[in-house]
Amino acid sequence: MIYLNNAATTYPKPQNVLDACSAALRSVPESQFRSGQELTDGEDVFTVCKRNLGKIMGLSQTERIYLSSGATDSANRVLYGLLSDSNDCEKKIITTVTEHNSILRPLYNHQCWKKRLQLLPCDRFGYIDPGNLEKMLTINDRDGVGTEAVIINHCSNVTGMVQDLAAFAEAINDSGLRDRPVFIVDASQSAGCIPFSADDLKIDALIFTGHKSLFGVQGTGGYFVRNGLELRPMLYGGTGRNSAQIEYSAADDDYEYEVGTQNGPGIAALCAGTEYILSRGVNAIAEKEREQMRILYDALGSISNVKRYGCFEKNAGPVLSFVIDEMAPSDVAYILKTGYDVTVRTGLHCAPLIHDAIGSGERGTVRISISDMTQNAELEDFINIISEIAEAGRQI
Amino acid sequence: MRITDRVESRERCAESGWYAYDFILDEPMDADFIRSLRDVGGSFVFMTMLKKPFFKIESDYYIIKGVEGNNYFRMAVHEEHLSELERVERLVQGEIADGAADRRS
Repeated sequence: MIYLNNAATTYPKPQNVLDACSAALRSVPESQFRSGQELTDGEDVFTVCKRNLGKIMGLSQTERIYLSSGATDSANRVLYGLLSDSNDCEKKIITTVTEHNSILRPLYNHQCWKKRLQLLPCDRFGYIDPGNLEKMLTINDRDGVGTEAVIINHCSNVTGMVQDLAAFAEAINDSGLRDRPVFIVDASQSAGCIPFSADDLKIDALIFTGHKSLFGVQGTGGYFVRNGLELRPMLYGGTGRNSAQIEYSAADDDYEYEVGTQNGPGIAALCAGTEYILSRGVNAIAEKEREQMRILYDALGSISNVKRYGCFEKNAGPVLSFVIDEMAPSDVAYILKTGYDVTVRTGLHCAPLIHDAIGSGERGTVRISISDMTQNAELEDFINIISEIAEAGRQI
Repeated sequence: MRITDRVESRERCAESGWYAYDFILDEPMDADFIRSLRDVGGSFVFMTMLKKPFFKIESDYYIIKGVEGNNYFRMAVHEEHLSELERVERLVQGEIADGAADRRS
C-alpha cells in the first residue's frame, strides 16, 4: 500500500504517537483543570502539548492556545468569536480564493459577513500577490470603510503554494492604516512541516489541525488568539474552573474556551506528535519533504501527458496536484486505488474557488501529498505506476 | 456472473445529484465480461495495457467503471435516472452474463 493523502490525514503515525494514545487509554484519564488527575513531571499533557505547539509555530503566549476538534471547529470559533455580527458593521473582511471550505463556508453562510467579503485572487500557481492586499487595505482605509480582518491560508491544500506571510504581515502592520485589521492565518497544512513564527509575523489568530503534519489523530486541533483580543465564546459549559460562576460578560477576559471534557487520548497523541516534530526539527522535516517533492515534480514533469499544477520553485509545501490528459481525475484515483492500492485524493479538495484560477476546472485534480514518514521507495513505485497509467492514457 | 450485492458508496460524488454504488459480483471480472458490458450502452474505454486493466462506460446519465480481476464495479448514476441501476443489474445477471458465457464457449 502506498499512502499519498497526507494533506488529508497523515499516515502512518510515528511510533511514539501510537504508544502515547494507547497509554492514555490504559491510564487514569486526565482532565484539564479538574481535580484528581495524575501529573507527569508536575505537568499535565494539555500544558505540555500547548508548550510544544508554541515552539513549533513560534508562539510565546501558549496560554492563549486552545485545543479543539480540528481546523473547522477552530475556524468557526475564531470567526464567530472575533468578527462583528452587527448588520451596521461595514468593515470589509478580506480572504483569498485559495481558502478551504472550513473558512469559506462560515464566511459565505453568515449574511452579515458575506456582504462584506472581499476575495484576493491568486495566479495560476496559486500564489497570492501581497501587493494586492496592500492595495485593497489602502482603498478600504481611504474610503473610510476599513477592514475588519484579513484571513490567509498559509499553505494551499491543492497546489502546495506557501504564501509569503511576512509580506502580508507587512501590508497589515506597516501600511499606515488608521484601523489595523485582525490578521488570521490558517496553518492547517503548514503547522509541523513548514517553519514560521506567529509571534514574528504578528499573527493575531492562528488556526491549525492536529491530524495532518502535527501527527496527531483525527478530531484534534486548536487555535490561538493573541492576548488583548476579545474572543466571544461560541460554546459555554463546564471548564473545571470557577464552577460557581454561571454568567459571563465581555469583562471576563479569562474565559475558559475549552468547555466540556477534552479529548484526552487525542491530545496525548497530539502531544506525542509535537514531541516527534521537535525531536526531528521543523526545518529538517521541511528540507526532507522539499527534496521528496522535487523528485515528484521532476518525475511527473517528464511524462508528456501529465499536467502539473504549480511549479517546484514557487510551491514549497508537501502537496502537488496533477491531471493526466484525456483522463478524469476521479478515474486516475480509482485506478490507483483499485488497481494498485495507492491512496490519493481527487476532486476539488474542499477548496472550490482556487480551481478557476489554476485552470483545473470543475473536475479538479489528482492530489498527492507526503509527510515526514513517506519513504523514497514509495515515491519511486508511485512514479512507475503513474508512468504506466499515463502511457495507457495516451492510447485511449 | 451473478451480482451478490449492491452497496451505496460512502464516497460522495464530486457532482451534486449523482449517486454511486458498488456492484459486488460472485467472481472476478475477466476481459470477456468487461467487453460484454458494452451492451449497457454509452462510450466504452478499456485500458488493457495496464497491469490491472481499467474500463469505463459513460453516458449522459451514468458512469460505470472497474478493474479487471476485481469482483466489483462502480456505477454512478444521476438521481433522475436511478432506474438505470436496475436495468444494468438485469443486463448483467441475464443477458450480458449469458452473452459472455456464449462467447466464451
